[in-house]
Amino acid sequence: MTQMAILNARILDPASSTDETGGLIVADGVIVDFGPHIKSAPDGAEAIDANGLCLAPGLVDLRVKTGEPGEEHRETLASASRAAVAGGVTSMVVMPDTNPVIDDVAVVEFITRRAADTALNRIYPAGALTNGLEGSAMAEIGLMQESGAVFFTNGDQALADASTMRRAMTYAASRDAVVASRPAELSLSGGMMNSGAFAARMGLSGLPADAEWIALARDLTLAETTGCALIVDLISTGRSLEMVSQARQRGARVGVTAAAYSFFFNELDVGDYLTYCKVQPPFRSEDERQALIAGLKSGEIDAVVSAHDPQPPEAKRVPYAEAAFGAAGLETTLAAMLALFHDGRLSLLEALKPLTSGPADLIDLPQGRLAAGAPADFMLFDPGAPWLCQREDLRSRSTNSPFDGRRLEGLVMQTWVGGKSVFKR
Amino acid sequence: MSPTADTYRFDHEHLLEIDGLHRLDIEFLLNLADDYAEATRRGDRPHESLKNKTVVNLFFENSTRTMSSFEIAAKRLGADVINMPVAHSSVKKGETLIDTAMTLNAMKPDVLVIRHSASGGVKLLSRKVDCAVINAGDGQHEHPTQGLLDVLTIRRAKSRIEGLKVLICGDILHSRVARSTTLALHLLGAEVHLCGPRTLLPNHAEDWGAAATHTDFDAALPGCDVVMMLRLQLERMDGAYLPSRREYFRYYGLTADRLALANDDAIVMHPGPMNRGIEIESAIADGERSVITEQVEMGVAVREAVLHTLAGASS
Repeated sequence: MTQMAILNARILDPASSTDETGGLIVADGVIVDFGPHIKSAPDGAEAIDANGLCLAPGLVDLRVKTGEPGEEHRETLASASRAAVAGGVTSMVVMPDTNPVIDDVAVVEFITRRAADTALNRIYPAGALTNGLEGSAMAEIGLMQESGAVFFTNGDQALADASTMRRAMTYAASRDAVVASRPAELSLSGGMMNSGAFAARMGLSGLPADAEWIALARDLTLAETTGCALIVDLISTGRSLEMVSQARQRGARVGVTAAAYSFFFNELDVGDYLTYCKVQPPFRSEDERQALIAGLKSGEIDAVVSAHDPQPPEAKRVPYAEAAFGAAGLETTLAAMLALFHDGRLSLLEALKPLTSGPADLIDLPQGRLAAGAPADFMLFDPGAPWLCQREDLRSRSTNSPFDGRRLEGLVMQTWVGGKSVFKR
Repeated sequence: MSPTADTYRFDHEHLLEIDGLHRLDIEFLLNLADDYAEATRRGDRPHESLKNKTVVNLFFENSTRTMSSFEIAAKRLGADVINMPVAHSSVKKGETLIDTAMTLNAMKPDVLVIRHSASGGVKLLSRKVDCAVINAGDGQHEHPTQGLLDVLTIRRAKSRIEGLKVLICGDILHSRVARSTTLALHLLGAEVHLCGPRTLLPNHAEDWGAAATHTDFDAALPGCDVVMMLRLQLERMDGAYLPSRREYFRYYGLTADRLALANDDAIVMHPGPMNRGIEIESAIADGERSVITEQVEMGVAVREAVLHTLAGASS
């Protein structure tokens, strides 16, 4: 039995609302015990002195894109996992928008096998909701779920047909499968940045918030009528939270995620046509950013995701209007959330919950918490450590980060997955 | 008292649906069909009960099996039979449904056997003609002779209907067979359970007498005396209502392992034509617990009984 103890740490566990100084004991990849009573390592166990650093569950990231299979020059599962563990992300869900699309058992098994062979953290595939993400024929939801797909989504390909969505959700509900949908009405999704005065001045076509509300109204209605568990993927406005809240009151099973960048940036950050800031959903107005922070505080937003979407230079070193959407995010998610702590908007536990137990609970993962019997996936971090985010220092194969050049606070010092140290700064 | 021709008057001009029939109506038809089935098995034919009667098979939707079954039944009773597969004829030339019916009515048939792709289509025609009409399947509504033949097959195999647990699995939503069979079994006291993927289950199935609907086939099978598999229409597969044929077979295909979950003496039924390897494994379809060919045999007997009853009633 391999044992390890981490001592003298500030233990932060959002799931149990724990914030106290103490230790944690791991045996065979599983957390055995933790708390203030642990002051020394058991006999034969490796002891690590945390020197007062924060010890928290590793991040569970529900929305990561890589380029594997198909576009390995953007990112592989291995390169994404290196970036992930440096950002404290110990579990992540990869989206099905790959080539080939994750729409059958063979690709699900490929991802699972490649992840086990090459990645440093735990990787879970999300299955395509429709074959080829084409939005017409339902994919093999049941068989992919049996093979390990954790939820089903059309990714960034908006599913325009309500009838297809209704049948897919009806079918998924009867197999106890979770459906995730990024609300975006297709016919209103041709723009470049948040619709508004700034976009007008820049001469860029807008992505109106209406597109989010229209699609969300459909998805919430279907969640209610079909009984399907729905993850509303990447909301960007306060009104969306009001809509979700109403649907929940009517009994719909709905989880909500938002991208870490949505709490940090507003539309003005697009500034001088910065293509790294070209994302979907776009950076919204400052009012919307504030509304989203309020949604975190109230607990209405269950999970914050990196929305990691690696894009190579050739997709970003072009005029803004021609650039690809997407931002690398795995290494900056924690710091983006800690910024809300440093601004006095959230406590540390409030900032960590939507990164750990919040997302884990949406897909019934046992990790994302410090608990006896839970996988030993955790990190030591220094919440106040200042650092300058520089593109060339990022570990992702693509470094299209909107945080490039930003001064941030909060660094992961060491990360463990299954009790094994996978990253040390 | 079991109703027979001597003791019971079947008081319906047409047979359009099981819905609205009395329990005694069904028992009467089953008893008569049983007699015909036995007579055929003994080789007692031809009968003359429909001699000089004209039966027209008016099929707006192609069906070799059902049309042949009605044709054989009518001929065994001595009737003159005209088959009109109109799916490819006058309707294509632009004649309206009612015009076609009026034309046929003018030829004074005694019985019209009608299949139509629209729910309610047969009932509409029945109001426009003077003869007896038998619904041979209308859209997704009803297929009453199929319901009767299913019940007769079960009654002969199990010697009763009352108290049996019957599980019907497949595309319930689009199935006229499921509706008619469920209604008939429920009238006679069986406990009918419906099973399928949620996308192929109707809402409010309890309104037509189903005890419960299920999406987990394995969980629904224990205690079943009868397992009836429905045909999965090819156009429903491949993504529209279901992900794929293999996923369907995985969760809803009747295999030997699944059948073992039902009662040891459970019988297996299928209205045909079967998709082997999709809704039913070949070994089960051909196995000793399968009564699928008996269903076909009872189909002729039930149609003899219905033709006899209605042709007599209208004359």
